[in-house]
Amino acid sequence: MAPTRATKPELILAVGAKRVNTNAISTRSKSTIINVVKERAKRKADGSPPKENGVKRSAFGDITNALKKTKETEIKGKTIIKVPNAAKKVKVQAKVLPTVRTVNHKKNENTCPPPAPVNNKPRTRATQRLHQPNQTVQKPKEVLKDNTNVNQKIKTRLSNEFEKTEESLYSTAIDINISNCNSSTVKSNGSKIDQTEENDKGIDRLSKVSFVAQQLEKKLTLNSYCGSPEGIDDFDKENWNDPFQVSHYAMDIFNYLKERESYFTIKDYMDHQIHLSCWMRTLLIDWMVEIQESFELNHETLYLGVKLVDLYLSKVIVSRDDLQLVGVASIFIASKFDERIPPSVDDFVYICDSAYDRRKLLRMEMNILKVIDFDLGIPLSYRFLRRYARCAKVNMPTLTLARFILEYSLMDYAIVTLRDSKLAAAALYIALKMKNISGWTPTLEYYTGYTLMEFIDIARLLNNGLHQKPKEQIMTVRNKYSHKIFFHVAKTPLVPTEDL
Amino acid sequence: MQKYEKLEKIGEGTYGTVFKAKNRETHEIVALKRVRLDDDDEGVPSSALREICLLKELKHKNIVRLYDVLHSDKKLTLVFEHCDQDLKKYFDSLNGEIDLDIVKSFMYQLLRGLAFCHSNNVLHRDLKPQNLLINKNGELKLADFGLARAFGIPVKCYSAEVVTLWYRPPDVLFGAKLYTTSIDMWSAGCIFAELANAGRPLFPGSDVDDQLRRIFKLLGTPTEETWPTMTQLPDYKPFPLYQPSMSLAQVVPKLGSRGRDLLQRLLVCNPMQRISADDAMAHPYFTDLNPTIKNDRC
Repeated sequence: MAPTRATKPELILAVGAKRVNTNAISTRSKSTIINVVKERAKRKADGSPPKENGVKRSAFGDITNALKKTKETEIKGKTIIKVPNAAKKVKVQAKVLPTVRTVNHKKNENTCPPPAPVNNKPRTRATQRLHQPNQTVQKPKEVLKDNTNVNQKIKTRLSNEFEKTEESLYSTAIDINISNCNSSTVKSNGSKIDQTEENDKGIDRLSKVSFVAQQLEKKLTLNSYCGSPEGIDDFDKENWNDPFQVSHYAMDIFNYLKERESYFTIKDYMDHQIHLSCWMRTLLIDWMVEIQESFELNHETLYLGVKLVDLYLSKVIVSRDDLQLVGVASIFIASKFDERIPPSVDDFVYICDSAYDRRKLLRMEMNILKVIDFDLGIPLSYRFLRRYARCAKVNMPTLTLARFILEYSLMDYAIVTLRDSKLAAAALYIALKMKNISGWTPTLEYYTGYTLMEFIDIARLLNNGLHQKPKEQIMTVRNKYSHKIFFHVAKTPLVPTEDL
Repeated sequence: MQKYEKLEKIGEGTYGTVFKAKNRETHEIVALKRVRLDDDDEGVPSSALREICLLKELKHKNIVRLYDVLHSDKKLTLVFEHCDQDLKKYFDSLNGEIDLDIVKSFMYQLLRGLAFCHSNNVLHRDLKPQNLLINKNGELKLADFGLARAFGIPVKCYSAEVVTLWYRPPDVLFGAKLYTTSIDMWSAGCIFAELANAGRPLFPGSDVDDQLRRIFKLLGTPTEETWPTMTQLPDYKPFPLYQPSMSLAQVVPKLGSRGRDLLQRLLVCNPMQRISADDAMAHPYFTDLNPTIKNDRC
């Protein structure tokens, strides 16, 4: 079961209090914050690493900074100046444009004056693309402990136990009852049907006959189902009697999703976005991951939100001031689509530190919906990855590593034009390589529909991205996956791109 | 709303008023569902959002077609294909008599629409006669996707507050949040029986307890053997061990033995054992189905 961590709710409370002191907040939003904390305390992001109070960067302070220095960074590229201390940071933050806010930890006011040029602001190697292929290999200092034991243990698990682990790790749902539903799944899997047939007390004769017949027919149906080719484990067949795997439809559904991918191809749009840069997009995505953690949203919500941002940006010219609005409205829409209980408009207004009022947010919601023509059923790399990993019976630490790679790549503008089903394959491939588990097996080839050659370039691209020196403004994904609940996967030693 | 001329109010959907209207240019009759957007609200209701994008994907003869979405500042209007009536109203016009070929045809079309939803990653979650539309040509269409959602594989936990009580399966009545396509199959079973009885609901329960009692009285209370995981469901509580009180032949006297067999496979308390829409369509009950209906794919 997901361990509840106290750190985060407290942190939010603290932030709330801070905000109250600094008067930037109405009573209404105050109560909202408290509600947020109350409601969400129990499903707090156990995935997120403890965050040092107050030191956390103000994402949009950084955007502001990035905005102002975009031009020069584009030229200079490699300048890195570290923020010396918190005090300076505060100073920087005090100059943050009202347009750019962070989820929490904010110290400055809404009412701050327009920013003056800042000299001591954090510099980054804000290159346009994150994946400079010529980066030197940077080995993380902490090397993940050998977890072969874990691997072995997990390998022997039933698929549903697997699921249980997964769900509790990624506890995106609110309910404590999850454990109930999941544990029942485990049991149901364990109890075989023939057992049931033997102990048929209390079932009348007729229904028993029908029941047996049904099982027979099920087997027949299964036989008529054209399974995987020889030599490839048929994952759906193995799970045929577990309805929660939706085996009957799984192949259809994924073929359908792959087919739909082509409707959502995103063109290279950054050249047209005269006010924006790739780095600003990167900062925005980093902040969206933070929202996902803070509100404990499903990962599907995050991925869908990012898709909406890119689809919108590929069609509409957006000003700097509105970029964050596009981001927050996208997550807002995505949560309505995917979440059981989506956060309220006021929650989203709050995390933008009221940079936009609800009216503005609702307008942007409608704008985005119009532009994307209400089409939210977008195939997501996250979904593909989960399917691939399950079919190949990849263990949790490796799947988690692949998820880290995939989520990290969201910040890389270079991936926006690529197919999600391939990105998922590439992330999984890198993870398998990093864990030294296998190459691209026939099973994976079968279930993904891709040979290694079809996505190796993408794998190299993602791997180069991982080799880039971590930038302190965009540490959210790394920090998240450095936590033990995510098996510290972000600290896994990288493999050189040549070895892929 | 110049494009359409409103003719009459048809009803209230999950989240908005439905009007019959005429396209001023083409004179085509459509159904308009209007959603008010208020600045004090949460923007576009998630039910509307889901219905719109799911229906944009689900283009099938047995699923109501969404032609267009019109938006103005204060409202959102969904333009649907218009059907003459819903199954509920059709039942009311029957006076207790229904042609068994119509039962078969409607049931097949219901299953076909459902199979299409399920293989396209969508759970309907609110199947009931009011949400099945019928037109003059005897076509049946699934409508009102306000509670529908796309599901992941494997499924995750979703809301247990779905499906109108009478059509809600026992697992969801016991609070199951981990459910899958089987949730719609139970509703389909209830509707099948209701069809066969020309509109008499099978389990018209008054509350969750009464609903479960009615189900168990007919089908027998599930046991540890027939449904091992039942006792672990969040809202599980023990019920008296009813033996199946009467055979399905008494419940749906007009349905033949094949039809009863299909019904039996749909109305299985344990969701693991419930037949899927695809398998149900292949059931012998449909072997003598009018081929024009069978082959009439989207």
